[in-house]
Amino acid sequence: MLGLPEEFTPDFLARLEHLRIKPRRAFEGLGKGSHLSPRRGSSLEFSDFRHYVLGDDFRFIDWGLYGRTDKLYIKLFKEEEDLLTYIFLDASASMGLPEADRKFPMAVATALAFAYVALGQGDRVMIRVLAGDGQASTPGFVYGRHRIVELAQRLGAVRPAGQLDLATVLARELVSIRRAGKVFVISDYLMMINSVTRGLGLFTAANMDVTAVQILGGSEMAGAGLAGDVELVDAESGERVTVSIGNREREQYRQTLQRLSREIRTFCLRRGLHYTLYTTDLNFHDFFLRATADFGLRH
Amino acid sequence: MGVLYPGAFYYLLALIPALALAYLVRERPRRVIVSSVLAFRALRARRGRRFGGWPQPDWMFFVEMLILSLAVLAMAEPYVLRSGNPIAVVLDDSAAMQALAAGGRTRFDAARAALKDALGREGPGEVSLYLTAPQPHRAGPPFGSAAEAAAALARLRPTGAPSDPAALAALLSELASDTRLRRVIYAGAQPLAPPVPPRIEAFAVGDPLPNYAIGSFVLRREALGHSALHARLTVANFSPAAQTLKLAITGDGKPVGHAQAHLAPGQIGVVEFPNLAPAGVYRAELTPSDGFALDNVAYATAGAVKSISILFVTPAPADAAGLATLPGISVRVASPTSFSPTDLASADLAIFEYAVPKEMPPVNTLLVMPPPGDPLFGFNIQPAARVEITGWPPTGPLTDSVNFRLLNLRAGEYLGQHPWLRAIVTGSGGALILAGKRAGHRFVALGFNPFPYLGRQNLPMSVLTLNSLSYLAGFGAETAGYHTGDPWIVPAGVTGIVPPGGRQIKVTPGMLFTGANFPGLYQLISSDGAKSLRAANLANLRASDLENTPALKIETSGSGAVAEVAPRRAPLTNDFILAIVALVILEALVAYRRRRRSVATV
Repeated sequence: MLGLPEEFTPDFLARLEHLRIKPRRAFEGLGKGSHLSPRRGSSLEFSDFRHYVLGDDFRFIDWGLYGRTDKLYIKLFKEEEDLLTYIFLDASASMGLPEADRKFPMAVATALAFAYVALGQGDRVMIRVLAGDGQASTPGFVYGRHRIVELAQRLGAVRPAGQLDLATVLARELVSIRRAGKVFVISDYLMMINSVTRGLGLFTAANMDVTAVQILGGSEMAGAGLAGDVELVDAESGERVTVSIGNREREQYRQTLQRLSREIRTFCLRRGLHYTLYTTDLNFHDFFLRATADFGLRH
Repeated sequence: MGVLYPGAFYYLLALIPALALAYLVRERPRRVIVSSVLAFRALRARRGRRFGGWPQPDWMFFVEMLILSLAVLAMAEPYVLRSGNPIAVVLDDSAAMQALAAGGRTRFDAARAALKDALGREGPGEVSLYLTAPQPHRAGPPFGSAAEAAAALARLRPTGAPSDPAALAALLSELASDTRLRRVIYAGAQPLAPPVPPRIEAFAVGDPLPNYAIGSFVLRREALGHSALHARLTVANFSPAAQTLKLAITGDGKPVGHAQAHLAPGQIGVVEFPNLAPAGVYRAELTPSDGFALDNVAYATAGAVKSISILFVTPAPADAAGLATLPGISVRVASPTSFSPTDLASADLAIFEYAVPKEMPPVNTLLVMPPPGDPLFGFNIQPAARVEITGWPPTGPLTDSVNFRLLNLRAGEYLGQHPWLRAIVTGSGGALILAGKRAGHRFVALGFNPFPYLGRQNLPMSVLTLNSLSYLAGFGAETAGYHTGDPWIVPAGVTGIVPPGGRQIKVTPGMLFTGANFPGLYQLISSDGAKSLRAANLANLRASDLENTPALKIETSGSGAVAEVAPRRAPLTNDFILAIVALVILEALVAYRRRRRSVATV
């Protein structure tokens, strides 16, 4: 539908429209919006008092306070601004394997779903594709719900390729970010845990509200399709490991993969990050709509 | 120990590196690109097994190396040297050895015990074991020692077949003349006539024994259409006193006849049962019982005379309808267009009406009004609107009891002269019935059509039809059954034979079956699963005469001195091949288990 992934059914889009991004703290935006900003502004939510100075709008003088104290005070209100939403999508070669698991298409669908929610509430969205063989990153923020089609077409042209060092790439991206906001990092996180913690830690240090979404294949988790003596080649680094895989080895592999996911989850919880794991053998709609709290979204 | 062809070891130089190369190539693991090897690093590494590396010390590799080495050794034909002159042991395992000897043992047990004692006294040297029934033959390769031969004797049992005395005498003469042999030990029912050659040590276990025997059990059907059978049995009294012998016959387990004959000592008599009720299997039992039970019972099957299978090839199938009403006849109809020569495989005789086969049929055949111009038989045919019989022989299998004057023939054809079919009945324009033999089969050609078979409604034609079919089916001939020890030619379509009390033996039609060595009923199993029975009896009165066993006369050449023989080479190739087979099976089992363990959830 309009170049959107097949997962974006009318029903799913209708359900997305009821979702809102709920950042854990207030961020300064670039324009008027629906999120409270740390700036003083003209919303209905009271923020503070200050002494009246010449030139202030006397409509905001608190006359009740003047009656009690004989001093003029001005009531200050919070500003409501839009939310800057950054979506980082891992398009390294590992996201393309195993092909049957459709990890990357699911990651694209997840990214577009986040973008749709953000654009739907009038926020600005910037999608950055990490690695990959296309120039799909948006040059700046996009604004307006109608831009979702353009984003879908850009991401649809991306093919997973290349190697990704998450910490290095995210550090480089952080340099170009002028204002803090909501950050979604979508990846399989099949990398050394240090790279993951360093990369995500950079955003928390920059006061960002980070959601880490880990996407793994169903058969990848089960280690299916591998049996006997096999020489395994890493899709990104080219590293080779020769192993003999039987039931016992397959179970050991599964446990190792689960332990890696647990370590990332533990890190996120300790550092106040949202974390969600999605395995592609589950229904995407069920997963997304049930994991809204874990994403940092709300109805 | 030595080898005949040491040059074979050069193969080792090439084959073992080739095996190592093949092993390394085979061990090269499958390459799979995965998203990340992160979670696989902790698994057990199998480094060094890739092509180009050194194989891990997997014992399978060494087993294969061993198999290859054994194969090369087998090619070199290894042998061991064995010294000492060999011994020949001849054990009579004929039917007569089942007779009781002194002490309640059979003659066979007594002979075996005597041979064991004799072998226990012998020194080192190979032992060749010969058996006598149904023809003298060597029972496998020579045994390495007397102890091995004695152990093999314990596993033997006597056959139900008679032995050939002339062939046995020839064998013993040949063995007695062989100067390489240190000794020839013979144990059997027949004694050796003096002078016994010095090299032969003989144990005669055939003490005279009174015996009553059934010599033969013959069934025949007198004519086509008769359901009852005629049985003829010969019985013999091989005892010093006159005896009344009683015969009881059962058909499929039910009594169908009994008779008795009073026979003088040594007399052989005949007992006839002219009208035995129809049954599948007949069993005759002779009383009183004696010390040799094998010849007191005889079997006969009606299968051979009971039913004739006719393949009727005709464009008018209604003509075949009446034949099936005849007892003992089954008719299968085929059209000339659908007929194939393989249809004849299960037929006893064939009828071609208004048609001829394209090749000579392998069964007796009746040709009814063959069409003109066929290249196979080449009849000179003259069609006639009305044929008339003018001449016929007064007697003959085809014309007996036929009143030709009453035959009312209409349209037909005169068959004229034929190169190999003889005119039996002639008409005004040529021959009307031709008969002859070709390639061992009978052929009859009719210039008129006797079908459909109408029975009493057209008596002269029906008699002529029955005569023709009887002639082609060989009726009136006796089915003498089969004798134990005689080889058979396996009939067409039979793929298995089950001997009495034995397991099925796979056979192919046309092969010589030599396993009928025990009396009883043999089951013949066809490829389509059909079963038929065939009886085999001892039926050898010479073997049954246990009172007068003739002595074997042994003629030898030479002085009887034993020649010193050089150490002989005993080949070990078979032992090596057995070891190779065992190792290959072991390796296959291990490989199968490994594969099952590794391929689980692909």
